[in-house]
Amino acid sequence: MEAFARAVQKNSAFRALCRPLASTWVNLSGYRRLGLRYDDLLREETPIIQEAISRLPREEVDGRVYRHKRAFQLSLSHAELPRSEWTKPQDDYAYLQPIIDEVAAEHAERDAFNSMATTTTTTTKK
Amino acid sequence: MLAAGRLAGARAYATAAAGVSMASTANGIRVAASEAGGRAGLASVSLVVNAGARFETAASAGAAHFLKAFGFRNTQERTSFRTIREAELNGATLTAEATRENITYRVQCFADALPYFVHVLAEVATATKFAEHEFRDVARTVRLEALTARADPVALALGGVHQAAFRCGLGNALHAPVGSPVATSDAVRQYAHVALAAGRVAVVGTGISADALAKLVGESRLAELPQAPAAAGGDQPAAASFVGGTQQMYETAGPVAHYALAFGCEPRSAHALAALLGTQRRLKWSGGVSPLARLAAAEGFSADAFSFAYSDAGLVGVLVAAPASQIKAAVQKTAAVIQRDLAKPAPDAVQRAVAAAAVDADDALATHAGQLRVLEAAALGQAGAAPAHVDAAALGAAAAAAFGSRPVAAAVALPQATAYVDTLGF
Repeated sequence: MEAFARAVQKNSAFRALCRPLASTWVNLSGYRRLGLRYDDLLREETPIIQEAISRLPREEVDGRVYRHKRAFQLSLSHAELPRSEWTKPQDDYAYLQPIIDEVAAEHAERDAFNSMATTTTTTTKK
Repeated sequence: MLAAGRLAGARAYATAAAGVSMASTANGIRVAASEAGGRAGLASVSLVVNAGARFETAASAGAAHFLKAFGFRNTQERTSFRTIREAELNGATLTAEATRENITYRVQCFADALPYFVHVLAEVATATKFAEHEFRDVARTVRLEALTARADPVALALGGVHQAAFRCGLGNALHAPVGSPVATSDAVRQYAHVALAAGRVAVVGTGISADALAKLVGESRLAELPQAPAAAGGDQPAAASFVGGTQQMYETAGPVAHYALAFGCEPRSAHALAALLGTQRRLKWSGGVSPLARLAAAEGFSADAFSFAYSDAGLVGVLVAAPASQIKAAVQKTAAVIQRDLAKPAPDAVQRAVAAAAVDADDALATHAGQLRVLEAAALGQAGAAPAHVDAAALGAAAAAAFGSRPVAAAVALPQATAYVDTLGF
């Protein structure tokens, strides 16, 4: 199933069909109106994402905390940022996802080694 | 002239040690190997980077120590977890060590795993990520090692004589100082980037021939290393020059005080001169026959000879340890004996020292660690740093030159109770 999903995502015709809708879809989802980035919304209560957050550079952590506080405040007061302060598409980049992928790969690798069944020596693996 | 002399020395040495062969790769990485690597099937491979503490500047003080500690960390190709687990599966040992001249990453393993570990070492050199989150771990290791060294009076005294003798360059501390300017992994990456050129990297192996090892290196990422340093500032540091007459003071009120007294000398004769000081015990029931050994035994303090040989400088001397209240008298008596008996040594004492040094040099060659030192020195053209045979006439002249000159000193003692080098009569 996952392979099927990946094949669909990689399909260029499908991507061409979706691309015009993508930005509309993101705008409708509303998080940019609160000044958030998409990576601010990822569920952070997992060991992997906690580790990824701890690897962020200081400036990214500061920005992330600031955006969260501002968004909570806006949400409490049922308000939105003025249009000029909405998150711009070029600012909505994946600052956390690459690190999450890296940590997830490390965890998967650790699990693979920890559950290794055979005891053949792994040599000359480039 | 000097370069030619060194090369000749290296060649003389390479023939002296059995089975040593040299080769180099297309981009100029020198490879030295010895097939007589102990028991069949055992092998080792080391990546030696000529980027030890002597290359540090004021802006990069401590960088060599950090670079050593970054050995076998995450690279573009594999995580440090994978490197370690695969080393475990192969039964290999990974070590990293830093001297004042070189940083060495070493793998000891079975010969059939060598191709794999040459790739691992190539990645360590060319593709280490220097990630910021790893720097936090590395910095903790570095801090512990530095604190341990600062708590050890012997390490302090020996570091102190280097500092007094050579100031910067070879005088640079082996361990990162407190508040080192190297505060991010970027600073370490910068230091490594400057150092990593083919001319400053050597690969040393045992249990394999140099040609086979050079072929493996040529197939690895090391083949992509540039010939010349990639950035400015990668040239050789200024040649070491010995400046006598100063003393380094480390104040401590411990019950035992330490005092190191060191003389400048040619690197090739450093070890033989230490044998001439002759404090090493070679017979089980005897304290030794040398004047210094007899003095120390009679007075109840310890005097240990030490020597350091680098590519272009040597240091030889004696480390006196005595109860804090007696350190001044012990040092004064030691200095008097050196002036009286060692500046113009008796022929039989010289003969004993030549024999002892020859035995030590060959004994070192019989061990794995000694072999690696010879190979490293040969590969990086640091012939002076390898143990060598010295003849009696040369040793007599070297002793007169060294022990007749003004020494440097380092004291780990109370300033009120210790001796000072300018009052010792040299």
